Amino acid sequence: MTDRSRAAAAPLISFRGAVLGYHGRPILPPLDVEILEGDFLGLVGPNGSGKTTILRAMMGLVNPLEGSVSLNAADRIRFGYVPQRKALDSGWPLRAIDVVMMGLLDRVGILRRPSGEHRQEAARAMEATDILDLAEVSFDALSGGQKQRTLIARALAGRPSVLLLDEPTAGMDFPSTQAILSVLDELHAGGITIVMVTHQLNEVANTTRRVGLLGPEGIHVGPNRDVLTSERLSGLYGVPVNVVELAGDVVILQGGRHDV
Amino acid sequence: MFEVLFLFREAVLGSALIALGCSVVGVYVVYRRVVFVSAALAQLSSAGVAAALFLASLGLGVGPVESELFMSSLLTLGGVLFFGLEGDSNRVPGDARLGIAYVLAGAGAILLVSRVAGGDAHALLLRGNILGIRSAEAWALLGVVTAVLGVHYLFRKEFVFVSYDPEMAASKGYRVRAWTVLLYLTMGAIIVASIESAGVLLVFSLLVLPAVTGIHLGRTLGSVTAWSAGSAVAAALVGFAVSVELDLPTGPAIVATSGVFLSLAWAVARVVQRK
Repeated sequence: MTDRSRAAAAPLISFRGAVLGYHGRPILPPLDVEILEGDFLGLVGPNGSGKTTILRAMMGLVNPLEGSVSLNAADRIRFGYVPQRKALDSGWPLRAIDVVMMGLLDRVGILRRPSGEHRQEAARAMEATDILDLAEVSFDALSGGQKQRTLIARALAGRPSVLLLDEPTAGMDFPSTQAILSVLDELHAGGITIVMVTHQLNEVANTTRRVGLLGPEGIHVGPNRDVLTSERLSGLYGVPVNVVELAGDVVILQGGRHDV
Repeated sequence: MFEVLFLFREAVLGSALIALGCSVVGVYVVYRRVVFVSAALAQLSSAGVAAALFLASLGLGVGPVESELFMSSLLTLGGVLFFGLEGDSNRVPGDARLGIAYVLAGAGAILLVSRVAGGDAHALLLRGNILGIRSAEAWALLGVVTAVLGVHYLFRKEFVFVSYDPEMAASKGYRVRAWTVLLYLTMGAIIVASIESAGVLLVFSLLVLPAVTGIHLGRTLGSVTAWSAGSAVAAALVGFAVSVELDLPTGPAIVATSGVFLSLAWAVARVVQRK
């Protein structure tokens, strides 16, 4: 998203003084953030900083203790949620196609069976993430990258306007990570708004268009280069962090062994 | 063997129906990792029977309170709502709450039954009285099992979705707790309908062992359920016949047969895995 288009983009989701937490206890300072139409926002921060909770609040699964989380043009917003893979290490005997079909069950309706059209739609979503040939394979037998693409296909099967991903590349090797990020890039180019929670600072720096950095003082949101600075990251993580440019990419290094 | 089965046909039919109902629901019990919910519900159900017997022995049973079915249903329903609606807001871990319900219901049943004249009533609660199933009980079981299987057929995709990925289901607008309560209600219905005849031990084992047998032999959810149901009904028939032939208690004989089937399924799965 260019600066000009961002200026014109309408906010889809607005956090206004939103205090998020569980059992009456806040886990984040008040948030004032807007997710814009066509956004590609990365949410980063230390463990336990509340990144996943923000995703859950967007979907209405967590109500703010104070303030508000509002969906503008709520009737046009359809969420596609891609949870952390480890949450689904379950042993259920489901094929990849069964998992993808879950993404459109709300459209199938209660007491009705999925039709051929629904199956075709699930197949198209699998094609978009390049896993159609794995449709009949047990989900548990897939590699980490294949599972992740299946979960993205499941989210796509629901025809989302906003895709929410929770650590989509955690524990993956370079090729799988690259494949996932390419898929996300294509989806974003196709007009889907994306919010991605991750610990991978280098991925965020070179993939998303904006970043939200979560810390004890709240959230800093802005263009990647403005937010992901050595000073800010070192202060937040409590270890030396250097942000350097290498062959046009931003590289974030831990340990302070490389001077900028 | 067939003569034995024919001679006790109502009891045999009742056992097979209990096995069928428990084994289908049991697939969810095992995959959702709520084995102890089923154990606690079975124990609560038996505590309800014990409470009814106790009140009746004191001459306090009036109207529905006199009915073992009513008291068993009441306590089981309480358990279904308690376990189905529990959120993550409680500071006491879920398995600890299950353990508390299980031991208190078990101890309550023993204490109440110990005050009831009639000797080995507690042993009966534990191991049941399959041979005592008559035509009326068999028909009632047929009705309950048909209803439970019907609910599972109609809402299969919803039960699987909310069980497999409750957060995703919630994000799609599914009322996960309501679906969980409905699923637990089907479990509770089977337990209440079976507990007096089958006893805690048999009901609990039929909720777990056949499903694990199915997991060893099936590759899809449908085939796991089919293997679970098939092995459970087969265990009920074989265990029943063996118990009558060898003059053994019927419930434990069915449990043991189910255990043998599980061992065979495990062995088959190992052989297939190696190939």
